[in-house]
Amino acid sequence: QLVSALHNLTRHVVYRGLTRAEDILCLFPENFHQNLKNLLTKIILENISAWRNEAQASQISLPRLVDMDWRVDIKTSSDSIIRMAVPTCLLQLKIQEDAALCGNNPVVSALTVELSKETLDTMLEGLGRIRDQLSAVASK
Amino acid sequence: VSSQQFAALTEVLFRFLTEPKEVERFLTQLSDFATMNKISLGPVKNIVKSILLVPNGALKRNLSSEQVRADFIALGLSEEKASYFAEQWKVNSPTLTRLAVGQTLMINQLIDMEWKFGVTAGSSELEKVGSIFLQLKLVVKKGSQLENVYVELTLPQFYSFLHEMERVKTSLESFS
Repeated sequence: QLVSALHNLTRHVVYRGLTRAEDILCLFPENFHQNLKNLLTKIILENISAWRNEAQASQISLPRLVDMDWRVDIKTSSDSIIRMAVPTCLLQLKIQEDAALCGNNPVVSALTVELSKETLDTMLEGLGRIRDQLSAVASK
Repeated sequence: VSSQQFAALTEVLFRFLTEPKEVERFLTQLSDFATMNKISLGPVKNIVKSILLVPNGALKRNLSSEQVRADFIALGLSEEKASYFAEQWKVNSPTLTRLAVGQTLMINQLIDMEWKFGVTAGSSELEKVGSIFLQLKLVVKKGSQLENVYVELTLPQFYSFLHEMERVKTSLESFS
């Protein structure tokens, strides 16, 4: 019962985003032991940002990018042309499935994608547009 | 085959080579050519087949127009016709080379990318959130099928992704 009550208290504080001692103190009932109240409030305040971050990290979401690597190759020959020198890019994205669905064993899959120079240029154009839109939103 | 007929035939051939998907059109043009010049279709097809061997081999080995001309003369074609063909070859080879390179094997080719971004307003754990997320949809060609991949990125991840892609572009450009 005690653990459950504590759990509810901390969840409520995190949910509401309470950050000031006074807000937390007034959650306790009238005749609650003074020193215990202060001690609990102090502990909660210390942990609150860590708990908020963790809650945000384990939010439901689409699969998340955890890592990316790239490499540039030069294609020198193929069945349609015996000699050429065409650069191409291989991009590996490590994607983690929704944390909430996997519990303690998140599934990380690696997707390797090949991009030609034209595709890369188009992609960079798109990413540049995203960046511009982001700065327009941020400056409002 | 007279020079004019040869020129017309060459034109039909090159149009097909530069647009290899237009097979029906090529066959129609060939039979038109045959009827117009009162040659039966069978021999025309045979001639075309043997002529086509030369540009295909030339493309594989990146032959210059000089070498194409020499090949045709070795096969017994008159000088005039061989030169005409070689000229056409020079004009068309950039397109043909680009087509051949385009056919080269690509693994999991990225076809398209869509995105949206927004703000997470709240969740069951946190009443007010206000964090920005970016969602990317990548369309990837696996074999002959298209697959959609959905990924979410945080802002810092997006900026470092952009930075890395710019480095890739510099790298690719230094090799072209």
